[in-house]
Amino acid sequence: MSQRYRIRWTKEGRTRYISARDLTSVWERALRRADLPIAYSEGFTPHAKVSFPDALPVSYGSTGEYAELTFAAPITPERDIARLSSSLPDGMDILTYLKVPDGAPKLARMLRATLWELIWPPVDATELTELLHRRSDELMASDAAEVIRHRPDGDRTIDVRPAMLAIAASTHPTAGGDARTVLRAVLRNDGPTVRPTDLHAALTRGDIAEPALNRRVAQGEHVPEGLREALSGTVDPLVLDVDAEAA
Amino acid sequence: MLGTVPDRRAPAVPPRSRRLDHRRPGAAAVTPTSYWETIDPLLSQVRKPAQYVGGEHNQVASDWDAADTRWLLCYPDTYEVGQPNQGIQILYEILNERATALAERAYAPWVDMEALQREHGIPAFSLEHHRPLWAFDVFAVTLPHELGHTNLLNLLDLGSVPIRSAGRSVEDPIVLVGGHAAYNPEPLAPFIDAAVMGDGEEVTLEVDDAIRTWKRIHLGDGQSPGPDARGDLLKRLAAVEGVYVPAFYEPRYYDDGRLRQTVSVEPGVPSRVPKRTVQDLEQWAYPRKQIVPMTETVHERFSVEIFRGCTRGCRFCQAGMITRPVRERRPETIQKLVEDGVRDTGFNEVGLLSLSSADHSAIGSVARDLADTYEGTTTSLSLPSTRVDAFNVTLSNELARNGRRTGLTFAPEAGSERMRAVINKMVSEADLLRTAETSFSEGWRHIKLYFMVGLPTEQDEDVLAIADLGIKAYEIARKYGKANKVTLSVGGFVPKPHTPFQWVAQDPPEEIRRKLSLIRHAIKAHGGLKLRTNDPEEGVIEGLLARGDRRVAPAVERAWELGARFDGWHEMPTLETWMQALAETGVDLDWFSYRERDENEALPWDHLDSGLEKSWLWEDWQDSLTEKDLDDCRWSACYDCGVCPGLSIDHDTGYTGGFQLPVLPQGLGGGSEDLPTAPERYASGS
Ligand code: SF4
Repeated sequence: MSQRYRIRWTKEGRTRYISARDLTSVWERALRRADLPIAYSEGFTPHAKVSFPDALPVSYGSTGEYAELTFAAPITPERDIARLSSSLPDGMDILTYLKVPDGAPKLARMLRATLWELIWPPVDATELTELLHRRSDELMASDAAEVIRHRPDGDRTIDVRPAMLAIAASTHPTAGGDARTVLRAVLRNDGPTVRPTDLHAALTRGDIAEPALNRRVAQGEHVPEGLREALSGTVDPLVLDVDAEAA
Repeated sequence: MLGTVPDRRAPAVPPRSRRLDHRRPGAAAVTPTSYWETIDPLLSQVRKPAQYVGGEHNQVASDWDAADTRWLLCYPDTYEVGQPNQGIQILYEILNERATALAERAYAPWVDMEALQREHGIPAFSLEHHRPLWAFDVFAVTLPHELGHTNLLNLLDLGSVPIRSAGRSVEDPIVLVGGHAAYNPEPLAPFIDAAVMGDGEEVTLEVDDAIRTWKRIHLGDGQSPGPDARGDLLKRLAAVEGVYVPAFYEPRYYDDGRLRQTVSVEPGVPSRVPKRTVQDLEQWAYPRKQIVPMTETVHERFSVEIFRGCTRGCRFCQAGMITRPVRERRPETIQKLVEDGVRDTGFNEVGLLSLSSADHSAIGSVARDLADTYEGTTTSLSLPSTRVDAFNVTLSNELARNGRRTGLTFAPEAGSERMRAVINKMVSEADLLRTAETSFSEGWRHIKLYFMVGLPTEQDEDVLAIADLGIKAYEIARKYGKANKVTLSVGGFVPKPHTPFQWVAQDPPEEIRRKLSLIRHAIKAHGGLKLRTNDPEEGVIEGLLARGDRRVAPAVERAWELGARFDGWHEMPTLETWMQALAETGVDLDWFSYRERDENEALPWDHLDSGLEKSWLWEDWQDSLTEKDLDDCRWSACYDCGVCPGLSIDHDTGYTGGFQLPVLPQGLGGGSEDLPTAPERYASGS
């Protein structure tokens, strides 16, 4: 009797460098170490039934990765998902799980939008936040914003505007007493893929450095305050409560 | 630009006069800075960045100041190739199990990463904490083959350690090498402080003891070591059985350039340094906590060495000669290591390693028990064995219970009966064809046959016999299915030290190329019969470094200066660089590689004792010229090669009481379609 679970997991620290290709075996080995009855595909080279809605670019951080796991036998989720989480490499943790009822819509349909975060190093924070503010407003007011994406197989022009649902820059105090600029944006997942690098390209005119880190915060549904996370239903705000984070 | 990171320059490397405090024992030490913060932002610019991050399951990350001695274990190739190495894995575990020691790991950065490291001032680093090479007490490098020599120099330089041993002080690590290429470390003599021959388990712990004692005497809190402190350390190392300190020996040459003798020039050091042999493998049941990579490597499996050594006596085979005698692991120990290891690592493949795994005296029951344990699961079993016989096919059928019967590999090594007698590979053409018949009739669809060209006394007819054998095997293949395949994998022979062929002339690459084209031409009409070859040039550097003496060392250094690294990688053609280095340093390939030596000439490794009597090796070489074969001394009478006297064992086999194997030569393994590159061929060895 198979059971399906959807989980939200993180990919932070050193595990940011695991490629999408290598991820399957990292998960499969963690599942085997945790001794969970994951289901396998048929055929001569069976694969553990773990599916990911999409791939995160290498080096991006994330607290908004998702997966669907199919187990061949029932599990005790509170205990077993925790065990799986601790079997994963440091930096990968399972945050939420949800048992999938029969007839549930596809996972991808629950992940209609992504909250992205672009984080700069702690320099020029006030000026940079101000500049990003202005550029973001301009971008939202425009009908189209074409950028060129450079690829080894040739350049491609893409319009980032249709994917943009909301965007906001803010200044955050760091633990070291400095301040840094953080840009959050809610982008649609349907339609052509738009990544933080494309967003950066649309915002800079050669005057804004690449962020130190791009992070996928969560996925779900766009709401006026930000993003309603798909599995937990909690809302991640577009504008972070600066005071709360500093505290 | 707004938001630009101020300056990503790495923490400065302290000058060599200010490194002592980092190397003091235990709590007296100042922990060196981690370079992770500097490395992290650069990783999105390099290929396969996961190889530089560490953090794998079973990594051991100890505090710097909790240990008295600190080892950096290194495989001088990329992580992808080096990570699966069993030798490093075992030493990593036994050192880290010691309360007073700490071991981290390092691999060679690929060229893109090296360029960034040099640009940003990041030294060669460990994976566990990204600590700099220069801060460790021992930089211990395994040399499974000769093609890592330039990488070794590069790592030292990148690690801010003087290239030459003579330039090092108490502020620098001890550079220690082991592995098969350490049986002739002479081309590296000026660059290393010490070499260890043989099994590493016991000697590593003894070296660790010697260093710990020395550190307590010379490097305790606030102490400043005297001018002879490093010399004292080298003497303590040389006093450990099996440790060779090249600085204490000098080669003497005849006027015509031949080597007369290598003599010890330090009182008290042995005139010949013996190899180390672990007599009871049962006492060293490792790996227990095998590291599980988070990125692709050449062998993704839990590996257990089922025995060490080989006595088949193939005359070309250095591994078989230097690892004698045979020492088996008990079947129940194998079973336990595998079950615990699979559970602990989550690997879905098990590799039963050894030089010729079908030769374990209880392999039939080992394979059956493991196949029973994992029947119906997704765990698969693999056995790297290339024995040419039906039993090997049976064994493969057993191991492939969970999978598909795809490919088998057999190694007849030479094409003609005569040539096989010369190299002592005792398999007849009838054996081979029968084995092919068995394989295809039992549903296997592809066999690979391994051969060499460039063997001593080889004539063109011997080379053409390879094609002939291939064609016959292919005809059998076709009887059982139109899509069945046969692949001939042919490499150029490279003579190695401590073998009966250590005296022979190596074939130059043009000759190897000519022989390969003879085969290619002969099989042209047979579409499904494929030929795979290595680049003939690959053997040139390998051969020179295998049998070179100290006069080759300047060429190694020059080649490295000129940019040679990753010799043996298809992506890095370094032969031209080497040729320039040889020309500049006056090293003559004709002299070192393409010349036959005579009985009386001293060899650069004569003072290094692999256990094999030189007189026995010579006799065996003479026997080979008369095509006289020699039985496996596990099953037949001892022929006094020299290895066993002095050890408390003969061949340690047959725990289950009696041999269950048909006592016939040779084998197989599944694996990839491509002919492995030299680095891959050696990757899983211990
Ligand atoms: S059987 Fe293999 S390992 Fe043993 S001597 Fe022959 S080639 Fe070497």
